[in-house]
Amino acid sequence: MTREEVLKNLKNRFKDDIIEVFDKSSNRVYIDIKPGSLVSVATYVFNDLEARFNIATGVDVRYHMEILYHFTFEDLNLLISFRVKLPKDKLEIESLTSVFEGADWIEREMHELLGIDFKGHPDLRRLLLSEEWPEGVYPLRCDYKEWDEKAIRDRGV
Amino acid sequence: MSFKLKALLRSPWVFHLSTGSCNNCDIEVLDCLTPRFDIERFGMLLAGSIKHADVLLVTGSCNRKSVERMKRLYEQAPRPCLVVAIGECALSRGMFMHSYNCPVPLDKIIPVDVYIPGCPPKPEAIIAGVVKLIEKVKSKK
Amino acid sequence: MIYVFYFFFFGFLLTAVIGLLASWIDRKVTARVQYRVGPPVLQPVIDIIKLLGKETLVPAGASKTTFLAAPLFGLASVMMVSTLLWMNNIMTGHSFIGDLIVVIYLLTIPSISIIMGGFASANPLASVGASREMKLVLGYELPFVLAVLVPVIKSGYSLRISNILGFQALNGVVVGSLSGVLALVVTIMCVQAKLALVPFDMPEAETEISGGALIEYSGSALAVYRLMKNMLLFVLPFFLIIIFMGGLRFDGIHLLYGALKYIGLVALITVIRNTNPRVRIDQAVKFFWGPMTAIAVIAVVLALMGK
Repeated sequence: MTREEVLKNLKNRFKDDIIEVFDKSSNRVYIDIKPGSLVSVATYVFNDLEARFNIATGVDVRYHMEILYHFTFEDLNLLISFRVKLPKDKLEIESLTSVFEGADWIEREMHELLGIDFKGHPDLRRLLLSEEWPEGVYPLRCDYKEWDEKAIRDRGV
Repeated sequence: MSFKLKALLRSPWVFHLSTGSCNNCDIEVLDCLTPRFDIERFGMLLAGSIKHADVLLVTGSCNRKSVERMKRLYEQAPRPCLVVAIGECALSRGMFMHSYNCPVPLDKIIPVDVYIPGCPPKPEAIIAGVVKLIEKVKSKK
Repeated sequence: MIYVFYFFFFGFLLTAVIGLLASWIDRKVTARVQYRVGPPVLQPVIDIIKLLGKETLVPAGASKTTFLAAPLFGLASVMMVSTLLWMNNIMTGHSFIGDLIVVIYLLTIPSISIIMGGFASANPLASVGASREMKLVLGYELPFVLAVLVPVIKSGYSLRISNILGFQALNGVVVGSLSGVLALVVTIMCVQAKLALVPFDMPEAETEISGGALIEYSGSALAVYRLMKNMLLFVLPFFLIIIFMGGLRFDGIHLLYGALKYIGLVALITVIRNTNPRVRIDQAVKFFWGPMTAIAVIAVVLALMGK
């Protein structure tokens, strides 16, 4: 399959799920999709098109949050990122662990650093933060405030 | 100067401890053991276990998770033990000063004897720093 | 009275001095082979003095007596072996039947003391190192004993070291015959494993299991272990020289020959150490029970046939 065939397949099959396609360069495409259709798109791309799930990125863009899922097509030298926009008052999305296991730890990391809830994840516990970190404080959000009184934030000179 | 300390300065065994660094300083420390900047001529050997260590070479800005492990390791090193902080992250957390995961700099946790600045410091700078450490210990006691 | 003198002067002092010097030769040759400058001459002595000045920490769950007594156990056995060998070399009237068997038995005790020390520290990495040492001992003891049978057979089936030395003084060294050469090759590989040097240093792998059996040792106990290893670096080649190459004589030109024999063996051990990677424990045991035992059996058969 060539690059154009892949994009045409995706556009035809998910006509009403895709919001926008941004064809940035020959090896980089951003596709915005609706949050509800994430699992069906990921299943199609992973099983039928046989792409590799690279990583997922969570971003706090001041008035909403975005998650990008990066899939690579190695023979075509192509990386497609599916962008999902989540409103700040309802930060939840379905987990991709039912499709492939590689989403397990990255969703744990996004949950503890950004506060996104993944429905259907088998084991959503702490991955990177230490035990003394309080619950409900998410460091990578825009409105994160320092909670630790004993922290030293100047060089002392 | 006491006999114990004289023997310690002529055969310091180094232990390399990384508390969450980007590994650049670790590569430079490992460079010192290669034939070009050979430190075995000063009697320094790389110690495998913390209980064989005389000098702790600490790199990296201290994460919350690695602080507890580093405190435990420092307590297990048999005295007399010297601590050397290598690289900007170990001196004052460098560019991670305002990071959420690095609350305190290294010298508020364990006492440090010599600071070697640089990002990363060249092997010549590391050897110069260790020589300054030896001279400091000799002149103080 | 003469035995006490022999024990302290020859058994401990002379062995320690020559052993530390041999350890320096080993480190300097290694450094030169790797194109660096090595440590100064007194470095092994300063290492041991420095270790005596550090505090000795005993881990909380360890059995304290075994932990602290294991290095002394090994050091005592090395001193006894050295005394026996020196007495046989210098005054050949004081040996007894079966002292070859006593020497072989006492030479396994340093490895046993490392195993004891490794299991007495309450550390899983130390247990891994100690269990590797156990498997290694099971591996190399068989070809070692078979190869030591060759000088016994050649000198008329006697188990006295002084008889072996006497036979070699009259009929030429054991290593001059084909079976002697094969047996010497086998014992040199077994000595490499006894000293825990590369390629058989997996009981004390430095960065793999951070120190292996000696991970919890610090201060004086570690100093005693290092002294034991350095003394073994003298005692084991000395044992090989006595039973294969006719011992050391101290008159005239034979002093130079003796020094060359010893330095040659140490240099061979260092060269093997520098040109080989570390092998796994199953590869090491297969090596000792496979090719080495086969060569040792061939050497015994050749010795029985008289070659």
